[in-house]
Formats: sequence, C-alpha cells, structure tokens
Amino acid sequence: MTELPARNLSLPLDRAAREAGHGRLPGEHSVHRRLFDWIWSIRGNLALPPGQSADEAFARLDPLFQQTGTSHERTGDRLTFRKKDAAAQDKMSIFDDGVLRVEQGVLHYRLASRALLFCFLAPLLFLAFAQFTIVIRDFEKQSAEASETSKKPEEKEVERKLHPIDIALGAPAPEKPKKDGAEDGEDGDKGPSPTPAYVFAGLFAALYAAGRVLEDRLVKSLFRKRLLGS
Amino acid sequence: MNAVRVGKRLIGAEAPVTVGWENIPKVQGGPVKRFVFTWFQPTVLFALVAFWYYAPNSIAKASTAIAIGIGFKVLLLALEWVNPRHESWRLTWKELVTDLFYVSLGYTVLAMAESYIGADAVIEAVQASFDWDKLAWFATMPLLLQALAISLIFDFGQYWMHRGMHNWYPLWLTHAPHHFITQLNINKGAVGNPVELFLIGIGIGGFFDFLPRAVLLAGTLGLAVGTYQHINVRFNTPRWWRFLFNTTEHHSMHHSQDYEATRSNYASTWIIIDRMFGTCVDGEAELLGMEGGRKMSIRETMVYPFTEGWKTLKARFGRQTPDQDRFGEQTFGDHAAVPAE
Repeated sequence: MTELPARNLSLPLDRAAREAGHGRLPGEHSVHRRLFDWIWSIRGNLALPPGQSADEAFARLDPLFQQTGTSHERTGDRLTFRKKDAAAQDKMSIFDDGVLRVEQGVLHYRLASRALLFCFLAPLLFLAFAQFTIVIRDFEKQSAEASETSKKPEEKEVERKLHPIDIALGAPAPEKPKKDGAEDGEDGDKGPSPTPAYVFAGLFAALYAAGRVLEDRLVKSLFRKRLLGS
Repeated sequence: MNAVRVGKRLIGAEAPVTVGWENIPKVQGGPVKRFVFTWFQPTVLFALVAFWYYAPNSIAKASTAIAIGIGFKVLLLALEWVNPRHESWRLTWKELVTDLFYVSLGYTVLAMAESYIGADAVIEAVQASFDWDKLAWFATMPLLLQALAISLIFDFGQYWMHRGMHNWYPLWLTHAPHHFITQLNINKGAVGNPVELFLIGIGIGGFFDFLPRAVLLAGTLGLAVGTYQHINVRFNTPRWWRFLFNTTEHHSMHHSQDYEATRSNYASTWIIIDRMFGTCVDGEAELLGMEGGRKMSIRETMVYPFTEGWKTLKARFGRQTPDQDRFGEQTFGDHAAVPAE
C-alpha cells in the first residue's frame, strides 16, 4: 500500500498538461478507444456533499483501497489504484485498476474490469465449443457408418425383474428390452451434443448485460455511502 | 489462536475454527423461518427419493435428473440470498460468473473429454475385457438397497481418492487450486483444476450392473446431500443427518485456513466413512482458503499442477545452486504447494 504526498513528481509534466487539456483522467484513452472500452470500463460522476474537500473525500474512500492485493497512489486530486488477485470479500474485487479524480466538487471515476471483458467474450468461446462439438459428432457419425459392416453383434439385453419388496411397495417395473431395430429413445442420438455450449453462451451473454448494469450501480452506491459516511 | 484437541490432533492452531455441534449457531428469525430451515433438508431428500422410486419409466430418465439438478441449484441460490450462513460468503456477480465458468467447462469440454478418456471409457474397456455377469445378482436386490450400495461404494472410492490428494504430492497439486476458494457457494464444488475433476469422478461403482432406477436414486442422494457441502445457507441440520451425512459445517472445516483442520472430513456424501477411519471433525469455519486467503485466478487454476510440478522437478533434479540442499526446504519453491503430509 503506497500513498504518495500531494503530487506525483514521476508524472511527466507534458503528459499531465496534455491530459488536463483534454479533460481526461490519467490513463484515459482516445475517443476512438472509448467507443468500445465501455465493455470493460465503468465511468461515473458523483457530486460530493457541500463543503467536502478532495482530501476529505479520498480519506473517506481510503478503506476501499486498504484491501489485500490492492495498491494505490494519490497525486493531488487524483487517485489511481491497481488490484491483483483481490479476495472475493473485497467490495471492489471486480475491478483490476482505476482512476478517481475530484474536480469542482464532483468525483469522476473510471474503473476497468477484466471480469467484465471475459464475461463479454465468454459467449464466443462457448459458440466455438459448440462448433467443435458438431465437427466431432459429424466425424463420429461418418466413422460409425464406415464401420457398420464390421460391427460386432450386440449382446442381447436381459429382462430385469423387480425385487418382491419393490413390487409390494408399488415401484414401476423396469422397461422390457426393446425389439431389434427399435429406436432407442434418449440413447438413439448418440454422440456429443452442442446444446450445453449454446445454453452457456446465452447464459454468459445475459450475465454480462446484468453485470454491466449491476456493477455500475453497486460501485456508485458504494462510493456514495462512503462519501456521505452513512 | 485457541486450538482444540480432537483425538490426537490440535485443530484451530493456525486459523479460527469452531469445534463441536454445541458451539455452532442456530437459525435466527421467526418461527416460520426456523421451521423451514430445520425441515428443508430431510423433506427434500425424502421427497426426491419418493419421486424417483415411483416415477413412471417415461419420466425416470437422466434428462429429468439433470433438469431437477439445475432447478434445485437455482432454488438453493435463492436460499443463499434469504438466509446466508456468513455475510462474508455472500455471492457477488464476479463469484457467480467465475463459478459458472467452471460449471460450464464441466458440461462442455470436460464432458466430451470424459467420454473418451475418463472413468466411463475405462469402465467400458474393463467391462469388455472380463465377464462381469457374475455381478448381475446386484440388480436383483431391492431398489433402495441397490441405491444405497451404489452411493456408498462410489463415496468410498471418492473418500480414498480425496484423502490421497491430501497425502501424496502429485495428487495434491491437482487438488490444491480447489482449496484456494475463500467462501462456499452452490457452484464452488466445480471450482478446481480439470485434472482433479477427472480423478475425483473415478468410482468403482460403475463396474456393477444396476437397475437404471437405482442409479437415479443414488444420484439423488448425491444431489440432496452432497450439494450441501458447498453452500452459504444456515440450516438447523438434524442430529441423525449430521451423524450420517456430510454437511456445510464439516466441509467448511475441511476448507479452513487451519492446516490440521483441512486434514479431516474427506467424504463427499457419507461423513460416516470419515467416522469409520477417524478423520471426522464436527465443527465449522468461516475463514477459508490457503496462503492467507489469496485468491487464485482462473488462469493460475488451469496451469497450477503443471507449473508447480515443473518447479518441484527442477528444484529436485535440476542444477543445484550452492545454497540449495537437494532435499532442502527450497525444493518445493516459495508457494505453499507443499504436500499435505
């Protein structure tokens, strides 16, 4: 945990001036990048309570950056932080790094999350798994057809009977073995199925949408509670 | 730290644990809440057993079991929300997504790999090589007895595999990532290295010839009992249940940050197996994990057995630096991937 005095002398003056000129937070990127970095970045503004200085605001937020695996730097009215392997119990564990700035009584923040990015990309991964499964299934079908002629005769299923106790208790009797050539119901369509991969692709897409909205609100509420001291 | 002597060992010397049922908190709240969280577990177990016993053949299928399993887990997620055991174990969005990622691997790539090189393939090969008809008598026993036998045989295998993982370094490397979880939630059972999931799934029960309905009944025992290993819900679990079955309390003790506590409660469903072999410790823990509760990322979880194994091999058989003893402490590197014994 490092907290630097009021100014970070290591920040080159020309870069600081450029960033100030563009009204960007240090570490912020160009407008072009902002077109798509909303996927993993959460931005927001929060008005400080009347009369609250930047020092006071950062002092109130400080416990959030005193977590295991979190390092932070304070440079004037800006605070940057970085997290590595944050504990599940860390209230900001979803974020890997971020910048907070107080300007004219307003807290501006940009927080980046690899978890959001990976969740956004996860559906693509599972769609790829689904395609891979289809390829494997087709390959298996072809090789099964090719070896149809050399197939060993299947063992005949024996008819199963229930124990007398189960008959007395009314348990349904086991199904009789199917006649040769009959469709095998559930087992008829053998081979790997792409359905689970499609389901998880949809699930991660829904989770991304929910998480992008939820985490935006949660972090705003967390900052607000800290700043108001309630 | 106040340690408690349990048999020959001292539990809780390194991290806080609660030993003894009399010291474990009860469900708080009104009479309805206390009633629900006292009777939920046995009611669901008996209801599911009755369902699988009497369901017509058209319903008693694996697909129904999967649907019930998913529905049950969603219900338990809701219970985690209503009555958490510990506030510090609350499920966050990130934890949910991470856990589901491991679950999804189990349903997709691992399921496919399992069918080619996993336990199913091994069992099929062994069954094809020998005449197993002499075990056909198993299928003539009463259904519930068959289900009990399947569950106990499978759990017995899992007990020794799990205990082996805590006692033999190569196996421990595969299991260690699972011990980095710092809270218990419904899907935490799936969190771990895929190699471990292969190994833990190997069971000798598969060699016997059972009625399909008996297998479904045994599966429901795993669902309605084993699922409670990883859950953030406070229940007033009945005395007979916690004597026979594994509970969240037992498994939280197993995941404690206290080393000695982790060397207990290895069974998956039947804690009575631990009682038989003297490894059961009744109690619970809130502070979980390894290396002081360090979070392990998905990437590290996937490569950990290989990177740590490589480090160990290099330290043991590679070129020695003057300050390294061939069998000295440094042979296991800086991390806590030391064999459990």
